[in-house]
Amino acid sequence: MFPVSLLHWLAKTSLGVFMRDSTYGFALVEIGHLLALAVFGGAILMVDLRFLGLGFKSQPIYRVAQELLPLTVGGVIAMSVSGVLLFMGGPVRYYHNPAFKLKMILFFIALIFHFALQFGVAKRKAAGRESLWLKLGAVVSIVLWFAIGLAGRAIGYV
Amino acid sequence: MPSILHLCQWIYGTQFSTAIRESPYWFPLIEGVHTLGITAVVGTVAVLDLRLLGFIMKREPVSRIARQVLPWTWFGFAVMFASGLLLSIAEAATNYFNWAFRVKLILLLLVGLNPLIFHLTIYRKVNTWDIANVTPWRARTAAVCSLTLWAGIIICGRLIAYVNM
Repeated sequence: MFPVSLLHWLAKTSLGVFMRDSTYGFALVEIGHLLALAVFGGAILMVDLRFLGLGFKSQPIYRVAQELLPLTVGGVIAMSVSGVLLFMGGPVRYYHNPAFKLKMILFFIALIFHFALQFGVAKRKAAGRESLWLKLGAVVSIVLWFAIGLAGRAIGYV
Repeated sequence: MPSILHLCQWIYGTQFSTAIRESPYWFPLIEGVHTLGITAVVGTVAVLDLRLLGFIMKREPVSRIARQVLPWTWFGFAVMFASGLLLSIAEAATNYFNWAFRVKLILLLLVGLNPLIFHLTIYRKVNTWDIANVTPWRARTAAVCSLTLWAGIIICGRLIAYVNM
């Protein structure tokens, strides 16, 4: 479904060659990916816990969703940029890696699901109680991101 | 310190250590949980640090954010510590010689001292600057130290695997 020739081309770009051959390039970008994960994951956790009514209860839901947007949006951008660089170190290899495939499928679902939820709540004006739907959404978001983290770690092992 | 080395080698030789090390599932799984535990710790700490630096949630009092965030920081810390201990047991003898592992342990000690100093000094007077947009310089210094040390811990943690090769 995905043009494999495009992957071969990606691998041959100078950036792709650098990511594959450089001794420290991959390690450095991987560290950057993990640093971004720490900030991103923590912010996601706080947003979802607030939706569940388990943290930040003193602030209205919409305000927590709003004020943590810079961290969740900035975090997902930093992770995507570093992630694409890591991918360029071996596009064909990753394409055939089942853990990578799973991670990407889950990632796009989580990306749309979580941010639709967070942006939707951030736009509200009135403080209200957490509805059952919101709590359910938060659980789905946490489970998805957790699975993405584990699948990401599995890429290096399968 | 040969006695510590002997201890590490003894741990390395136990059935428990070998089982984690040689299982195709346990080591990666524990490692994954460890990474997510760190995420919970550092992510929640970063929310507080970034508030101290005036980057986010400026409308919220500092003490309120601290109170809300810290239980989850401790939860993450418990997960991180337990999983980290298991990983260290599995690689005890090799980690003993690993410089990245040694630096990581030192940084962990320092990162523990930082909130201790913070809470015993400037945070005691938090009611005088709780709603300030710009927090006192000592609070901002603590935030910068915390972010830098945690970044160093993540970097060294990832390097352990690279140095071992």
